[in-house]
Amino acid sequence: MGALIRSYGRSLTGLFIVLTVAWVIGMIVIPQLFMVERSLWVRQESTQISLEIDRLYNEISTLQFDAQQAADADKPAIENTISGIEDRIAELEVQEKAPQKVYTLDNYTRMSGLHLKIFVRTIVYAALVTVLALVVCYPIAFAVAKVATPQAAAFLMLGLIIPYAINELLRVYAWLMILDYQGVLNTALQWVGVTNLAAQQWIPFLESPAAVFVAMVYAYILFMVFPIYNTLETLDRNQLEAARDLGASTWRIHWRVAIPHAKPGIAVGCIMTFMLSAGSYSVPQIMTRGTSGDWFSQTIYRQFFESNNWNQGAAYAFTLLIVCIVFIFLMMTIFRVGVRDIAR
Amino acid sequence: MPVTGMLAKGKNVVLDDVSMVFGDFTAVQKTDLEIRAGEFFSILGPSGCGKTTILRMISGFLEPTTGQVLIGGDDMAGIGPNRRPTALIFQNLALFPLMPVWENIAFGLEARGVSKRERRETAMRLVDLVALNGHEDKLPGDLSGGQRQRVAIARALAVEPAVLLLDEPLSALDLKLRQHMRAELKDIQRKTGVTFIYITHDQGEALTMSDRIAVINQGRVEQVDTTDILYDAPATPFVATFVGEQNVFRGRVSEVANGFAVLDGPDGRMRGRLNGSLHEGDDAMIFVRPERMQFLNGTDLDNVVSASVDRRDLEGAFVNLFLKRDDNEIMVHLTNSGAAGRDLTGEQRIGFAADDARVMPAGDLARD
Repeated sequence: MGALIRSYGRSLTGLFIVLTVAWVIGMIVIPQLFMVERSLWVRQESTQISLEIDRLYNEISTLQFDAQQAADADKPAIENTISGIEDRIAELEVQEKAPQKVYTLDNYTRMSGLHLKIFVRTIVYAALVTVLALVVCYPIAFAVAKVATPQAAAFLMLGLIIPYAINELLRVYAWLMILDYQGVLNTALQWVGVTNLAAQQWIPFLESPAAVFVAMVYAYILFMVFPIYNTLETLDRNQLEAARDLGASTWRIHWRVAIPHAKPGIAVGCIMTFMLSAGSYSVPQIMTRGTSGDWFSQTIYRQFFESNNWNQGAAYAFTLLIVCIVFIFLMMTIFRVGVRDIAR
Repeated sequence: MPVTGMLAKGKNVVLDDVSMVFGDFTAVQKTDLEIRAGEFFSILGPSGCGKTTILRMISGFLEPTTGQVLIGGDDMAGIGPNRRPTALIFQNLALFPLMPVWENIAFGLEARGVSKRERRETAMRLVDLVALNGHEDKLPGDLSGGQRQRVAIARALAVEPAVLLLDEPLSALDLKLRQHMRAELKDIQRKTGVTFIYITHDQGEALTMSDRIAVINQGRVEQVDTTDILYDAPATPFVATFVGEQNVFRGRVSEVANGFAVLDGPDGRMRGRLNGSLHEGDDAMIFVRPERMQFLNGTDLDNVVSASVDRRDLEGAFVNLFLKRDDNEIMVHLTNSGAAGRDLTGEQRIGFAADDARVMPAGDLARD
């Protein structure tokens, strides 16, 4: 704080702090609190009140008919009764409109068996995507950081970054075109005689979770490559040569020298890839189009916008968030890295 | 010493017609070199002269463009650095920062599949050899520069190399520690009998430690000799000026006889011991060490010049006097025996014996 004031002066420092606090409160704390609050209550169904209101309206209609038929002397008494009923209706309608909030943990405990299955499957799949991305990305990151000549490294980097100039949806659609029933891959297989598109004999790639895996690994590859690349970049090449000179095999050089050095990067890459794939909506939505089971993010979407049950949706979303946070701590423990290492 | 028995005997290294070409740049010209088993051999040269390339060819990180590298008589072609009987100590040491000292030392054994208990035992013996007792479980980052140096030496010795290659490992240390480590390296070399090949650009370092030195300039070996010969009888103007200090006078040969040559030049007539072949009329240079120069107090010498005292630098044991004669600077080293050279000012007559001077064909000098 003192250092900030010395560097930027009182007013600018104040502005920084106000902006930061506003950001944290406005964009993180309040929406999350809103979510949590939503997830903690259910709307009590008020069908009895509605029935009562309907019944009272019917009664008014009857009384009004009575009033037309009745003698003038009786009219004031009937109208009196009607206005009494109208007051009662107004009262009930206020009750009906006011949400009958009942605070409960039901949203968390009442996950249906199907949704629980989707939830667990999503977490397992996201973990698999993370492992797959790690296996694919570590060699790439190592090649770019340590093996390639500077020019080749620049080209490789460019090749990795250029696809990210394209919208994520389009990138996923590209995979859809490749893996679709009459897509590039099946067409290519037709040339070799494996498939026959005219006879609808194709391989249904899109119906297997592997399609989502492939698209996800592709969609989030940079989030894994960059942190690992950044840490490997700082690895002294002499250490690799020293290990080699001391007789270590390539495998041992990686296991004992390169990977321990890249640990913070691997942890960050895994955290980012896991969070992105666990929460991904567009990739499973586009790739499966309902042909294979939902991803949990799709279930959450349905709770909000199809079932119109925001409370349940909020609880689901919050559960996913908690799992992701647990995953972060798990990764930090497994890789023995602190927040400081990750921020580096 | 329990350690000496553990180490393999040093082997000789032969470079046979070895050269290294990168694209259109020749890093090392065709070179023949024999490094004897168990000797402390230095490869000395200015930065960029190709000495590190030679080291990398011996260690196996580079395959020579032509020729063969033989270690203990075995051709090393196609054998990678992990399978050669050599160990390399890097300029920046390249210790593994995330492993404790003992694991660093035992890494080579780990790579050879030695059990953990045995690794630890061997590491502890080496910790003892390099006097790091009590530091074996620390991380390299928690050690001082000299201690890290010793870890690097122990790590290289742990794999029982026949040849230890050292790439200017002392350059990062301060002067006092460097001098201490020189003695220690020399001591370890003697104890272990391993062939040491030491790369350096520091001629003082090379002279103090080595049995023999190869001086390299622009990818070419200029001279390979013992330290004394290298200092007293340099083969080329480059070696003469790169190793130690020299005063240089130029001239044309007017007489060659009995292993001596006479030069005529702007500084007058000078006579010195002949190095190489020279004939009357050739351009030549005569070299004299600053410590062989004398101030003439009545006595006379073979060669005499007069020059004016320009400045006096006190270097401790020595006093360096710099004299000017036209464009030529003449340096005289005097032993510091109190007030050495303090009262010398103005024009002085200095000289040197013909026996102390070397005459050789004119050539490139080492740049400062």
